[in-house]
Amino acid sequence: MGTATGIIRALNSGIKHLAVKRFTLRYPEEKLKFVGDGYQFDPTTGVGIAGYKGRHMLFHDKCTGCQLCAIACEGVAEAIAMVKVPEEWKHNKKSIMPQIDYGKCVFCGLCVDACPFYALYMTNDYELSSFTKEALIYTPSQLQVKPEVKQDVDIVIDDRGATHG
Amino acid sequence: MTARLPPGLQLEKVDDRIMTLNVGPQHPGSGHMRLIIQVDGDRIVSCDPDPGYVHRGEEKMAEYRNYITNIPHLERPVIHDSCNILYPYCLGVEELLGLEVSERAKYVRVIASELNRFTYTLYWLAIYGIFLGHSTMFMWPAGDRELAIDLLEKLTGARVTHSYFVPGGVRNDLPANFEDVCLRQINYLEKRLKAYADIFYDNPILIARTEKTGVLSREDAIRLGTTGTVLRASGVDYDVRTKEPYDVYDELDVHTNVLKNGDSYDRSKTPWLDMLESCNIIRQALEKMPKSGSVRVKLKPNPKGGNDEVYKRVESGRGSLGAYIVSRSKPEPYRVKLSVGSFRNLICMPYLLKGEKLGNMPAVYWSLNYWPVEADR
Ligand code: SF4
Ligand code: SF4
Repeated sequence: MGTATGIIRALNSGIKHLAVKRFTLRYPEEKLKFVGDGYQFDPTTGVGIAGYKGRHMLFHDKCTGCQLCAIACEGVAEAIAMVKVPEEWKHNKKSIMPQIDYGKCVFCGLCVDACPFYALYMTNDYELSSFTKEALIYTPSQLQVKPEVKQDVDIVIDDRGATHG
Repeated sequence: MTARLPPGLQLEKVDDRIMTLNVGPQHPGSGHMRLIIQVDGDRIVSCDPDPGYVHRGEEKMAEYRNYITNIPHLERPVIHDSCNILYPYCLGVEELLGLEVSERAKYVRVIASELNRFTYTLYWLAIYGIFLGHSTMFMWPAGDRELAIDLLEKLTGARVTHSYFVPGGVRNDLPANFEDVCLRQINYLEKRLKAYADIFYDNPILIARTEKTGVLSREDAIRLGTTGTVLRASGVDYDVRTKEPYDVYDELDVHTNVLKNGDSYDRSKTPWLDMLESCNIIRQALEKMPKSGSVRVKLKPNPKGGNDEVYKRVESGRGSLGAYIVSRSKPEPYRVKLSVGSFRNLICMPYLLKGEKLGNMPAVYWSLNYWPVEADR
């Protein structure tokens, strides 16, 4: 192939792309859809359930304060600290529950794998930025709240290319 | 008082014609490294690569964590290829602990590691494009990479640093409908990859820029111990996936792409051909995968290995990637050593750049498929 033909073909290939749909995701106006409600783990089978690994969610009615999640995180990021909670639960004699520092957490989900009581899951919430480091520390009562996550677009592929729609 | 300064910072006068240039350590590519280059006019007289700026002590850290909590930090050296960097570690630990991985988990691992080959190689290709001033070739791979990232996000729950492979299988099973979405996006990605030929690989400007620069002969490639795409570009048919198949690669039909010139052009083309081959591998794996079954072996807390040692290796985006693990009957490994392709490919840089024009330095440097953070670990 001659130099001239090669250059013309390269230019032609570029020009043809003017008709290809734009692939850019217009974050934050649009947000991606996720599968499921976040990464979860089933201790009876020992296998996780696929989902996004975002901010955690703690179920106060299930957490026994066994600290296994904090022990799992010790080797990873030391993001979990066990703190006193004002509530009284029959199954949680010491009234302690995990508090997670998202300034340290790497979102590996090994704490979720460690929890034997279905008390700690992950959610689709990934917008955790804050102005202070203290605001990144989520207390058990903050972790209890189920996040509202806007999910509207997914990748669509048709003859004119892929796009987020 | 110049004697105490580190190498490269001394103002040594070799000759009136020769000038020392420091390329880096703030490199626009990825991670920090420095090339100490001596030039005569615009000819490179000598090149001394100076890695080590992003050394994090991953191997030492691994000695203080158990086999499971080692996973999140061991994948940090190459976050774009995090499944592949964990692969040899998981294979090794499985042998030490005597775990039997299920057939389905093996196929899921193959799919995840081939998807990671896309995310790594497309990122590498995007940077190669911008190194050569071809900004379209930066935009296209960086955009198309999103297709593979999206699949990995659905599968593993994270866009990079998936922490997905564990000794004993993978963390979670495929999400619902994953096979169809994967097939659709891989088919489209293959179409996109083929479109790179006209604008980049057959482009006479790229060919003029990279052909016959930094030629690594077949003998030198073997002598210097290069692996992966660099070795295959020099005409040696060697790929760990076919020569020492691990997991289910022996049940799949894997074709190795071998080019023979060993110049920057061939070295930039082999990763692209590898990606096209990855599309075939993923389609085969999706078809042959058992439709149900467990994907993870249930481990007891703090599993221990015997007094044993093991070496396993896999084919990563940058070449063969090995993990040597020594166990001394403790929950923590006694020693973990990663033997990475990047470092071995770096070794040929002084040989290739000698006598080359300074302007060709980026074309040769990045074609070596070198990832500074992985080489430093
Ligand atoms: S996700 Fe990982 S880093 Fe974050 S709290 Fe859990 S174990 Fe620690
Ligand atoms: S979240 Fe789970 S692992 Fe952590 S203290 Fe509560 S019950 Fe134990």
